[in-house]
Amino acid sequence: MGWEIWVIVTLSRTLAYGTPLLLATLGEIYAERSGVLNLGIEGMMIMGAYAAFSTAYTTGSPWLGIMVAALVGGAFSLIHAFASITLKANQVVSGLSLTMLGLGLSGVLGRGWEGKPLPVSIPEITVPGLSKIPFLGPVLFEGQNLIVYFSFLLVVVMWYILYRTRIGIAVRAVGENPATADSLGINVNKVRYLCTIVGGVLAGIAGGYLSVAYRPAWTEGMTGGMGWIVIALTIFAFWNPAIGMLGAYLFAALYHLSFRLQPWVSPELLKAMPYAFAILVLIAVSRGTLQKKMGAPAALTLPYSRGEE
Amino acid sequence: MKTRFVLIGVVLLGLIFGLSMLTAAKEYVPGDLLKAGFIYVGPIGDLGWSYAHDEARRICEDAFPWLETVYVESVPEGEEGLFIDKLILDEGCDVVFTTSFGFMDGTLDAAQRHPDKILAHCSGFKRNANMMTYMADFYQIYYLNGLIAGALTKSHKVAYVGAFPIPEVKRHMGAFAIGVQEVDPATGLNVRWIYEWFSPTAAKEATEALIADGCDVFAFTEDSPTVVQVAAESDLPSFGHYSPMYDFGPDHVVSGQIAHWEAIYLDFLAKVYAGAYTAHNLADVNYWWLLKEGAVEMGAKPGMLINPVYEDELKAVIVNDPILGTISVYDLVMKRLEQMSDASMVVDPFQGPIYDRKLNLRVPEGLRMSEFELTTMEWAVKGIVGPWPGEQ
Amino acid sequence: MKKPSLFRVERRPVPSGHVVVLVSILAIFAALLVAGIFFQAYGVSAIRAYQLIVKGALGSKLGLTETVRRAIPLLLCGVGLTIAFRALFWNIGAEGQLLLGGVAAAGVALFSGLPNVLLLPAMFIAGFLAGALWGLIPAALKARLGINDVITTLMMNYIAIYLVEWLIHGPWRGPTMRGFAYTDKFPSAATLPTISWTRIHWPTLLLGLALAVLAYLLITRTRAGFEIRVVGENPDAARFAGISVLKTTLLVMIISGGLAGLAGVGEVAGIHKMLLGPTHISMGYGYTAIIVAWLARRNPLAVIVTSLLFGVIMSGGDVIRVSLGLPFQVINLFNGLILFFLIGSELLMHYKISFSFRRQ
Repeated sequence: MGWEIWVIVTLSRTLAYGTPLLLATLGEIYAERSGVLNLGIEGMMIMGAYAAFSTAYTTGSPWLGIMVAALVGGAFSLIHAFASITLKANQVVSGLSLTMLGLGLSGVLGRGWEGKPLPVSIPEITVPGLSKIPFLGPVLFEGQNLIVYFSFLLVVVMWYILYRTRIGIAVRAVGENPATADSLGINVNKVRYLCTIVGGVLAGIAGGYLSVAYRPAWTEGMTGGMGWIVIALTIFAFWNPAIGMLGAYLFAALYHLSFRLQPWVSPELLKAMPYAFAILVLIAVSRGTLQKKMGAPAALTLPYSRGEE
Repeated sequence: MKTRFVLIGVVLLGLIFGLSMLTAAKEYVPGDLLKAGFIYVGPIGDLGWSYAHDEARRICEDAFPWLETVYVESVPEGEEGLFIDKLILDEGCDVVFTTSFGFMDGTLDAAQRHPDKILAHCSGFKRNANMMTYMADFYQIYYLNGLIAGALTKSHKVAYVGAFPIPEVKRHMGAFAIGVQEVDPATGLNVRWIYEWFSPTAAKEATEALIADGCDVFAFTEDSPTVVQVAAESDLPSFGHYSPMYDFGPDHVVSGQIAHWEAIYLDFLAKVYAGAYTAHNLADVNYWWLLKEGAVEMGAKPGMLINPVYEDELKAVIVNDPILGTISVYDLVMKRLEQMSDASMVVDPFQGPIYDRKLNLRVPEGLRMSEFELTTMEWAVKGIVGPWPGEQ
Repeated sequence: MKKPSLFRVERRPVPSGHVVVLVSILAIFAALLVAGIFFQAYGVSAIRAYQLIVKGALGSKLGLTETVRRAIPLLLCGVGLTIAFRALFWNIGAEGQLLLGGVAAAGVALFSGLPNVLLLPAMFIAGFLAGALWGLIPAALKARLGINDVITTLMMNYIAIYLVEWLIHGPWRGPTMRGFAYTDKFPSAATLPTISWTRIHWPTLLLGLALAVLAYLLITRTRAGFEIRVVGENPDAARFAGISVLKTTLLVMIISGGLAGLAGVGEVAGIHKMLLGPTHISMGYGYTAIIVAWLARRNPLAVIVTSLLFGVIMSGGDVIRVSLGLPFQVINLFNGLILFFLIGSELLMHYKISFSFRRQ
């Protein structure tokens, strides 16, 4: 009996902590699939967290907070898109600058908000009936919230779009071979803009989730490097939304377990694992044909201009 | 192009060498206006350690018309020397308080660099003619909280979320465990470490992990009310830490430890102002202040020793004490509080016999642990369950 | 049918040096202006803030020396990054390489048992090698397997952070440290001397200046430097000319990682005199150095100036923290804005944006 509860709690915590990871990873998958590397996720997430908290605190509505967080994340990513796509700036530097900007700005603006408890946070939901299902019931239908369910839906929708619709084909084509995509009539830049903004919006929501649902509070730097784990996860997911979900939950589980298993396993080892795994994944898919099928989009980080070279 | 740059470098180096004279230091004259600087390791918004120090600073500034204060927060370890210099040279501070163990060597260096200024280091053990040490320690309060926890637990598993496995935290955990075991020898104290002073996320996950392991009463060393809130969400009682945390769980915060650093600050600053303490006679000044000096207080908030919601429950649990006879835990806590607040400190949590968790006798009957032993404590008291890095 | 595009972006030939400097300065001013707006939003007079920065970072003895002290790791990392960037190797991993350098130095200082006179040189050599090794791994992965360098160097940063944490919590925790998470203090023979009462550990500073000059000579006057430049500007031509892209990539990362490692030695032996938490050893020096190298237009000599500039910003940031009570993150705000405007200005210089309604 004991181990059952053990597993249930682990899964339940995994869902809670894994949701922001999942949301941001889904967004970054789309951005990178279209060829844009967004290293500004950490900045977008923390700005989202700040925007959500301050909005929720002043208006009393955490949902409004999430919406504002989405807008803020989207606005930041718009800047990144403009710099990387239209101005063809170096994507690495552009993303990094936005992360620094996000961290700095949220720290300065968030000054007076630290330590204030949020009166109304995203409510936890327990679905009567469904939560009684043995095993899965307590995990999925007890104590989670709407954003978690939204993330499930998002995985399905985004996977479907990417692999089963023409939009998805366009996105993937733009990331693999923009010149060919262009010649087929796809507006490369527009696709990239949209994907990058989707990435930013989801990063913003992920950050907002942290400050109004997961742990309702604001603290400067509260994302604690989660944005960088997302970058690692995107690779670990082979740029596939379904695997991304598995990856996000795997790492959330590891994080939770680093506390549960503390008497027996070094917490630093567990915390370093996402990053080491990402590198191992890259090595594993680096053989020629595998790279084509499961590797990074070929045009990742390369700006596209028609008629150049 | 190249020569231009080399020239710049040379000029700069020359400037620095030319400017390397010791700053003109003016020693503080008793009775003059006094300016005190405070260096915090975390943000004052943490509602924990740094917040408590800052509250004390404010109290001092309100209390003394001749005192002006300035502070710097979130100073990384290794940078304290720089900020001490800034406070002394740029802000004109006569006294600088550095409030984290990690600032110890930097403060000592600064004390040697500015022999006419007064430095004060919290929770450390190195002193100088112009540098004293001070600490308001909670171990007695943790012991009292432990008595309460031992009475309230139903699963016989009490939890403690700790920051770093350092003697200070170990000492507090030990005192807590001693209290728990005094009421219920069958209850163990489950510990988890988060390796940060301030991390709401880690605190949350650690608490959830402990809840999952069956613990039902919580104490912690972390600079935020996270553990309180997470425990309250699962309808479990907890003890606040450092600052009054009652508001974060009015039905779940049973009691806690509240710091009153102002007891020390007011005393010290007044003595500096009066000329009793100068930059030359601090080498043996070490504030190790406890309940009897009023530096620490037990309570969910000032004035609320025990949350009324839990009073009846505590009065219903009866224990058998060798000296006091049959007594309810509620009365026991009050009695012990009285005994420890007394100037002669009739009892101490760390008086023998005390066994470690490997069942070695660490403190023989009739003896108490000295301050040195307490501040270097690495071993785990009997009843502690879980990882214990550096166990001896 | 193609839609008309609103504006086209086309490349300009390489702009002259003076234009570059002028535009860079303008970019910095623009960044400071925007930062000022945020200060006003926070309720602080921007003018007062900047007055304090200038006075604090440049107008006082303490401020000046702190500016130089901050510039030391930026100088070393920055010079290394200019080399890496020249070969188009995006080394985002200077932070981790710096930490590894610190680890190696700590290991030598505390456990090697070397005679005192050999300690410091051994620490520098070990630090260089450790940083170089840390940079070599992503280099090999890129050169041999084509794996993206941005990602690998970034990931290595975090592995380095957890490595340091594991060491100071566990096997290297100092017995004299009463259980706190630091190593023991280094023996004094393993610490760097500083100039009088300042915190400027001058051996590292001199090393940085010397290496900046050497790096410049390497890039401009040697065959290896030539190969590096060709690999960066035209990898296909490089291969055609028989230049080993593999060897060049490894070389630049040995240099870049090694220099960052030296910076780590400096921080650990000159400032802290022990190994401590990774976020206390480096306050983002590795990331700030990217901006330093970028602003220097990948010229190692110019890094001397740009590292000082960022030394001013960091030092100034400390001043406004004390005087205005602004939070630690304010430095990130400056850095982010400056980097951002730099990219923007760069594009202005290299590209001409023309508005047109021409169909294509």
